[in-house]
Amino acid sequence: MDIAFWIISGITILGALLAVTLRNLVHCVLSLILFFLGIAAHYFLLRADFIGAIQILIYVGAVAVLILFAIMLTRNVTGTEGPREVLGVKWWAGSAIAGAMAAMLCWAVQNDKISRTLSAGEKATTSIAAIGKGFVAEWIVPFEIMAVLLTAALIGAVVIALEEVLKRR
Amino acid sequence: MAGILFSIGLGGALTRKNAIIVLLAIEIMFNAGILNLIAFWHYRHFTSLTAQMFAIFAISIAAAESAIGLALVIAIYRHYRSVDVDEMKSLKG
Repeated sequence: MDIAFWIISGITILGALLAVTLRNLVHCVLSLILFFLGIAAHYFLLRADFIGAIQILIYVGAVAVLILFAIMLTRNVTGTEGPREVLGVKWWAGSAIAGAMAAMLCWAVQNDKISRTLSAGEKATTSIAAIGKGFVAEWIVPFEIMAVLLTAALIGAVVIALEEVLKRR
Repeated sequence: MAGILFSIGLGGALTRKNAIIVLLAIEIMFNAGILNLIAFWHYRHFTSLTAQMFAIFAISIAAAESAIGLALVIAIYRHYRSVDVDEMKSLKG
C-alpha cells in the first residue's frame, strides 16, 4: 500500500502504545492527542474529510482538554503523577489478553481479503452538503435523539461532579 | 490496523491502575472501532452516506460517554481520595 498509510499507522500505533504505557499521566494524555491526530490523518487518507475534521474538533479539542481537567481535579496532594504501577501478574495477564485479541483480529482480516474496489475516476457522492442534507432529511430522528442525549450527558456530568458542593450547604 | 489499535486499548484498559488511564484506553478502543467503520465504508460502500452518519453519531456518543466517565471519576475521587482502581472495592455508599 502507500507509504503514507504506513507512516501514519506507525505514528498512530506509537501514540496508542505510549498512551497506555507511560508513567506520567500528562504524558499519557499528550500521546493520546498524538493518537487522535493519527486517526484523523487516517480519515483524511480514507477520503472521509468531514469525519476527520470532526475528529480533530471533538476529540483533540474537547475530550483531551476534558481529560486534562479531570487529571487536574484528581491530582494527589503528594505527587505529580497517579498511583504507582506494579509490574506484576496483572500486567502479564492484560498484555496476554491484548496480544491474543490482536492475533485473532489479524487472522480474521487475513482470511477476508478486502479488495480495493475504488476505480480511478470515481467521485465520492458523500460531500459535506450531502451530510448536511442527510441530517435534516433522512437522519433527522437520530439527530434529534443525539441532541437530547448530549444535553442529558451534559446535565448528568454536571450533577455528578457537583454533588459535594450541594452537601456542604 | 483498527484491530491492532483495539487490542492496544484493551490491554491498556485491563492493565493500568489509574482510572483515568483506563478511560483513555476505552477512548482508544472507541476510535479504533470507528476507524474500522470508515475503512469498510471506503473500500465497499463508497457511494453511500450511511457509514459517515453513523460515524458522526458514534463520535458524539463517545464524547458524551467520556464526559460522564470523567465526571464519575471526579466524584469517586472525592469519596476515596484516590483514582486507583484497586481501591474502589465496594459498590456501597
